Amino acid sequence: MPGTVHVVDDDASFRAAVERRLKKAGYSVATYPSARQLLDRLPDESLPGCLLLDVRIPDLNGPELQDRLSKLGSILPIVFLTGYADVPTAVQAIKAGAEDFLTKPVSSEKLLHAVEQAMARHEASRELKQKTNELGELLATLTPRERQVFDRVVQGKINKEIGRELGATERTIKAHRHQVMEKMKVRSLAELVSIAERAGMLRGGENKPISG
Amino acid sequence: MVLRGLIVGLFALLAPADLPAEEVRPRSILLLHQSELRGPFYYQIFDAFRAEVEAKPEPPTTIYAESFDLSRFGGDSYDASLRQFLREKYRDKPIDVIVAVGSATLERVLDWRTELWPGIPVVFTLVERADFERLKPSPDVTGSIVQIRLADAITAARAVVPGLNTIALVGGSWDRQVVFQNWKDEIQTAAAGLSVIDIVGLTMDETRNRVAALPDHSAIVYSAIYKDSEGIFYPPVTALSLIAAKANRPIVVASETFLTAGGIGGYVLLPNVLGADAARLALRVLNGEPSSRIPSKLTEAIRPIFNWKQMQRWGVQESDLPQGSEVRFRDATFWEAYLWQALTIAAIILIQTGLISILLHERKKRNDAELEAHQRLSELAHVGRRATAGELSSSIAHELNQPLGAILTNAETAELILKSPSPDLTELKDIVADIRRDDQRASEVIHRMRSFLKRTPFELKDVDLNDIMREAFDFLAVRATSSNVALYFEAFPEALPIKGDAVQLQQVILNLVVNSIEAMSGMPYGRAVVGRTELNGGSSAIVSISDFGPGIPSKRSIDVFDPFFTTKEQGMGIGLSIARTIIQAHKGQIWAENQVEGGAVFRLSLPLALH
Repeated sequence: MPGTVHVVDDDASFRAAVERRLKKAGYSVATYPSARQLLDRLPDESLPGCLLLDVRIPDLNGPELQDRLSKLGSILPIVFLTGYADVPTAVQAIKAGAEDFLTKPVSSEKLLHAVEQAMARHEASRELKQKTNELGELLATLTPRERQVFDRVVQGKINKEIGRELGATERTIKAHRHQVMEKMKVRSLAELVSIAERAGMLRGGENKPISG
Repeated sequence: MVLRGLIVGLFALLAPADLPAEEVRPRSILLLHQSELRGPFYYQIFDAFRAEVEAKPEPPTTIYAESFDLSRFGGDSYDASLRQFLREKYRDKPIDVIVAVGSATLERVLDWRTELWPGIPVVFTLVERADFERLKPSPDVTGSIVQIRLADAITAARAVVPGLNTIALVGGSWDRQVVFQNWKDEIQTAAAGLSVIDIVGLTMDETRNRVAALPDHSAIVYSAIYKDSEGIFYPPVTALSLIAAKANRPIVVASETFLTAGGIGGYVLLPNVLGADAARLALRVLNGEPSSRIPSKLTEAIRPIFNWKQMQRWGVQESDLPQGSEVRFRDATFWEAYLWQALTIAAIILIQTGLISILLHERKKRNDAELEAHQRLSELAHVGRRATAGELSSSIAHELNQPLGAILTNAETAELILKSPSPDLTELKDIVADIRRDDQRASEVIHRMRSFLKRTPFELKDVDLNDIMREAFDFLAVRATSSNVALYFEAFPEALPIKGDAVQLQQVILNLVVNSIEAMSGMPYGRAVVGRTELNGGSSAIVSISDFGPGIPSKRSIDVFDPFFTTKEQGMGIGLSIARTIIQAHKGQIWAENQVEGGAVFRLSLPLALH
């Protein structure tokens, strides 16, 4: 599962060494000597990839860059790699969602493992995001009435009950329900519930549409 | 009974011992002079006599003195009037001893003695031997007999004139001489083999003319002139001066007083010895020794004495003089003339030398003390650096792990390449070169750490303050990051050359920055430390380290630079104290203040190195 590793480190020597090693492992590598340079040309997140970030880099330090990227909606997993790991920094980074926190010198085994994990995470996140996006698109085809019916169906309500709530006959509800199944491209109720769960519609009980 | 006896005894003890003795009367001496006392010769006799008598103040002795002035006055009526005068004058003055100076005086004393001073002992001096034999005084008349020999004068003349063949006798007529009368009779024997030019009893003018035209190999022998043939009186010394002014030959003299008047010297009569001898004789008689028991004898007051200046004039060497001769009026040698000045100068030089060596010693002591102080400072600074090193462990680890990380990754990559069926040698070469470079980097870090931690002697070198600051700030970057503190360095755009010990100066900067970082640990945001270098006029550079923390406690009594002042729970409080010591050793200053907008600023000024 190859992908691109984005290395941000002010140490040219280390950048070169890591680039060489990662390329041998089959990854493509992009290097940035400072946080600013990464921000200037943000990686394409649709392609598989991850960030290998030094804690101490010019302009912004590693955790600051992590924060900035998160605010920009980046889902690129971040592996921190630092010359000196002090506990507060490590805790802060992990809490903020870092994939791993490594210290130099790091063995290739550990490094590759962390990168592989990060890549997998990214892949998963990307797929999830993809599916969520697709769901969002399907959900958007539903009429408001069909959406109301959908919400109530996945909550386990029977047609009669839904009809009473929405002030419609059982037959009308049944027609809407059929329409929803058609539009959402599912054949069973179980599949519909699964979609609803993935779209996060079941959490909190609130009926929020999922944004693309 | 016993009491009365005691009282009597007490009175006896208290009563003066000599109360019943006779009435105390000063003893008295009547000193009679032949010539008047104003002449130097007779004055010296009198002076020495008086000094000798006064040297023994107890019992008191009165000296009466009379001058008969017989070289200018004489005749029966003068004698009679003198006799009358003495009788009247000393009618009520008891005299214990008579001292007669000169043959003519002695002659009159002997004549008048039975009438004027019956039974009073007589002491005489300056009586010529022939006169003594002629006068035949009674045994209770005692004194010094003078015999001045022409032979001695000729001996002296031979000494001062090599190849002497002529002597010129200069003096007053023989019958007026006091002590030289015998020369007239001595000429035949003493001057045997010599031509004798007789310049005796002439007028002063004639005499002076004659002495100006004397032949070679001749010497003048001067007796004494009291009155020349024209009847003009001269003190003999004055007469000699007049003659000496014209004389073309050296003048041998026979009186000490003539030595300064132009005489070259000779066997001279010493008037002060005559006076002192006479005084001693008189005192013996006064003390009760019968004068008849003291025999008269020839005086020893004649000695060969020469005038050095005259010797120079006539080319006479000291070795030419008769044995035992004394040379007077020698020009003072340097040491004689300038002894005090020389001693003073020597003393000043000695004192100066002493002072200089004391100052040098002090200087050495101060240098030693400075050296020791620097050594102490080095040790103290070393302790401080070890403490700082703990603070900087994160920086050190980071600096070291950076190259180590690269090396490890490169090495593993290389292994991987080697395992492949056809290893890419070019890439391997690159890797090995990188490893080597990173290895050097790592060892540089260690070297830097070691030199920072090493106990190094204090050493001032030419350094750029900007470089020192920059290096220190690089070093601190990790430490700042881990405390979430932003670190800024604003360097003065030009080099700031100073003389400094780079390690110790960096230690100061590290210390100040770490303090600032720690001071802000309680702040939620806005943590930053700003370092700045500036030029202060043309002579010094200023480093400032400012933070945005709570500032320095405002109590005035607190000096943050005092040893053991600390606000930290785990601090010893020696960092700033060491910093101040280091800066002072650089002849700089360090001070702290609070900024108006909050936070503390530490400043240090260091003198710029002059080129």
